[in-house]
Amino acid sequence: MNNSLFGFEINVWFDGLARLGLIVGVMTVVAMGLIYGERKILARFQQRIGPQKTGPFGLLQSVADAIKLVGKEDLRPTAADPWTFELAPYFVFIPIFLGFVSLPFLLDVNIRLLELGLLYFIAVSSVNIVGWVMAGWGSDNRYAMIGGMRAAAQAISYELPLVLSLVVVAMLAGSLNLKDIVEGQAVVPYVVWLPLAFVIFFISTLAEMNRPPFDIPIGESEVVGGPFVEYSGIRWSMFMLGEYASLWILSTLTAAVFLGGYSWPFGEDLGKGYQLLLMGAKSGLYIFVVFWVRASIPRLRIDQLMAYSWKVLLPLSLAQVLVVGFVRVYELPDVVLTAAGILGLVALVSITGRAVASTRRLPGAARTMRSEAA
Amino acid sequence: MVASPQATPEHEFETQDLLINVGPQHPSTHGVFRMVLTIDGEVVKDVVPYIGYLHRGAEKLCETMDFRQGIGFMDRTEYLAAHNAELSYVMAVEALAGLEVPERAQWIRTILCELNRLSSHFMFLGAFGIDVGVFGTPFIYAWREREAIIDLFEEISGDRMMYAYFRPGGLAWDVPLNFKERVREVLKSTRQGIRDFDELLTQNEIFRARTEGIGYISAEDAIDWGMSGPSIRASGVPLDVRRDEPYLKYAELDFDVIVGENGDVFDRYYCRMLEMHESVKIIEQCLERLQPGLIVPDKMPRMLRAAPGEVYIRTEAPRGEYGIYMVSKGGNRPYRLKVRSACLSNLQALRQMSVDQYIADAIIVLGSIDIVLSEVDR
Amino acid sequence: MKGIAKSLMVTLSTFTRKPVTRDYPNYHRELPERDRAFPLLLWDKEIDEPFCTGCHACERACPVECMTVLMKDNPNHKSNGGDSSRRKIIDKFWIDYARCMRCNICVEVCNFDAIAMNNTWQGHELSVHDRKDLVMDLEQLLVQSHVGAIKEWVPVLGQSNETNE
Repeated sequence: MNNSLFGFEINVWFDGLARLGLIVGVMTVVAMGLIYGERKILARFQQRIGPQKTGPFGLLQSVADAIKLVGKEDLRPTAADPWTFELAPYFVFIPIFLGFVSLPFLLDVNIRLLELGLLYFIAVSSVNIVGWVMAGWGSDNRYAMIGGMRAAAQAISYELPLVLSLVVVAMLAGSLNLKDIVEGQAVVPYVVWLPLAFVIFFISTLAEMNRPPFDIPIGESEVVGGPFVEYSGIRWSMFMLGEYASLWILSTLTAAVFLGGYSWPFGEDLGKGYQLLLMGAKSGLYIFVVFWVRASIPRLRIDQLMAYSWKVLLPLSLAQVLVVGFVRVYELPDVVLTAAGILGLVALVSITGRAVASTRRLPGAARTMRSEAA
Repeated sequence: MVASPQATPEHEFETQDLLINVGPQHPSTHGVFRMVLTIDGEVVKDVVPYIGYLHRGAEKLCETMDFRQGIGFMDRTEYLAAHNAELSYVMAVEALAGLEVPERAQWIRTILCELNRLSSHFMFLGAFGIDVGVFGTPFIYAWREREAIIDLFEEISGDRMMYAYFRPGGLAWDVPLNFKERVREVLKSTRQGIRDFDELLTQNEIFRARTEGIGYISAEDAIDWGMSGPSIRASGVPLDVRRDEPYLKYAELDFDVIVGENGDVFDRYYCRMLEMHESVKIIEQCLERLQPGLIVPDKMPRMLRAAPGEVYIRTEAPRGEYGIYMVSKGGNRPYRLKVRSACLSNLQALRQMSVDQYIADAIIVLGSIDIVLSEVDR
Repeated sequence: MKGIAKSLMVTLSTFTRKPVTRDYPNYHRELPERDRAFPLLLWDKEIDEPFCTGCHACERACPVECMTVLMKDNPNHKSNGGDSSRRKIIDKFWIDYARCMRCNICVEVCNFDAIAMNNTWQGHELSVHDRKDLVMDLEQLLVQSHVGAIKEWVPVLGQSNETNE
């Protein structure tokens, strides 16, 4: 039984190992690049310079960090539950790895093209929450436990809008195969037909990655890193790597599912160079926006977070599923979808804006001349 | 109210409250403050604050120092607004020694105190932005503006935080020749900084949702707890020492006292924001009226001696009423010195403000009263 | 949602502005002449000896008691055939920089203008491995003035600027 890898016929097991090594290697490098990029970009958002001492423009900063983290002592609190504590990073890390399998990076450049790729992705992407809860529970730290519980609540809440907005795409494409979905967007990317689904998907991915404004589980100013508070060295760096790997995965998925992946607007037969450019630009844009949001927006509170998911995002995504179903069944023109999506967006924006009580009076100059209190 | 962890549950599914210890080494306690939260799920049921980690005995120490030596210690009781802290002290000494401060010195003192209020409020905005959860951006904005003000202070007094610039009777030495232009430059960047903050935070829906209606304290309770400064003005009490008991040149200046209505975290934040506009206004008026002249009285005694007696001087520091109670039995040092700290009084209301809120709210309530732990513990 | 968009625009506008941070160890901001680092002793270049006569005024006025002063007869005095008018001169002088709170009082009480606050970067960059190394002796206190490294600024206490504006 042989498989073909880069044109070579090789043994299945060896092929599997080679692909695994490829993901680990490429993912580590990309995650390190993302960490560097985030630090540089965030620094610019804050009018700072960012890392600059290690190597030219600080390019080796992530390498230096990695070396430091690997060299650190792997601490475990005496009261921590040994198995839960030590295994938790793997439970976070491995599901994220598995997510790489079905992603269409370029045309025919992927680990394994699965017929049910989207379903597979949804299935594995929610497993890592087990690791978060394990880390929170096993650390024997109350901050960690609160963080772990928050992570679980948040992941469960935001998994639903995320999945529903992907379901809409699958309905439109008529396929769960990510390659088919990308090819379906050769002319018009799905974001045009499904603007609401795209926005809901974007918000949900922020929550999935525990990125601001949804970084409640790790909330630095409240629970001081949440589930990671007791981790150090290599185990902590695994969490970190997982975080940035999932950022890369979700950026690629967004580019492939909503933004036309490697096929729109140049078509897919212009060669790998153009495809790489397209994917890079699209996922880079997504990543930039994520960093941008991180630099600008305060954190939500846990009850507001849950309410936003269950009361706003979920009903809207359910309505979206219904509308797409109607359009598909009665074969209405696709423009109806855009119109409905824009309507939904308006609803989303106005509901979000309504969160502020606009009737209250702002502080102003005192009207009495002398204080009554004195 | 405090849950005892040893309590044995009567029923199998009875739950216990969880105690979590926030601080003294926690990123959001603004120094070395510790509070023990009793939480039920995410809701805070009780708060027990612990202070004293930064106690240095500054008041007792000052009783062994003569008046000039004490100034440096007053700087260190409130390091974010050291000019204001010095001011109370030197005014107390002046009252006891019967010194008349010349006009020019008073105008310069007013300018420096208001600039220090700006720098202190910027510090509050930055730290509060981090408490609310914006990653670093407000903090860097705040430091950007604060740096300009601190650079100016360095050019005037020589030090960036512990100025020791006000002296009984006036100022240590005169301001540099380009003082007015430099202050105008700083005010220009300050206005830009305030605008940046206004756009970054005030209008933001998430920020509003996080801060509105949180940490409510009524005007009556705020008065009962002895709160002062922007924290009490946010509850609707127009208490401002600058206007109620004008000192320096405040009686001749035109400025508004900013008063909130709702007594919540957002009002405390926004009162400070508007106060910064007022400070800019005050400084501009002062610059117009600053005239050449003496900076210490003509007949300054070589050896400063205070008459026996006691005096309580209060001034409006950025965090509230900073008072000095000084008892003198004659001689060149205070017999007894007591600092009335605004932060300590404001901090006492913490429990009332944060009970029955979420954990995240307890953090921003603590941030909203803008404590400086060195002033609380002294 | 409008407010969130506004926040995003603010950060985007700062993204395009120039960074405000300074690359500190590589770039040293010019310090104002009034900058107060730690006190040091001044060197009288005309007679080639320190200004300080060891009169203990600063030692007595120091609020944190960080100074130790010892005086001696000046071997360079006119009565001994030298050219100095100082009968007494500083013998040993220690300042514990770790204790000093930089209040400027020693400068103000000095009758001979013999002590000044360092206003150069050497006065700030003083990190050492052992806090004993922060106890500066006479030689260390004099060397910067001797080589002319510090900018002269003696505060005119309690007096207005000449032009005043």
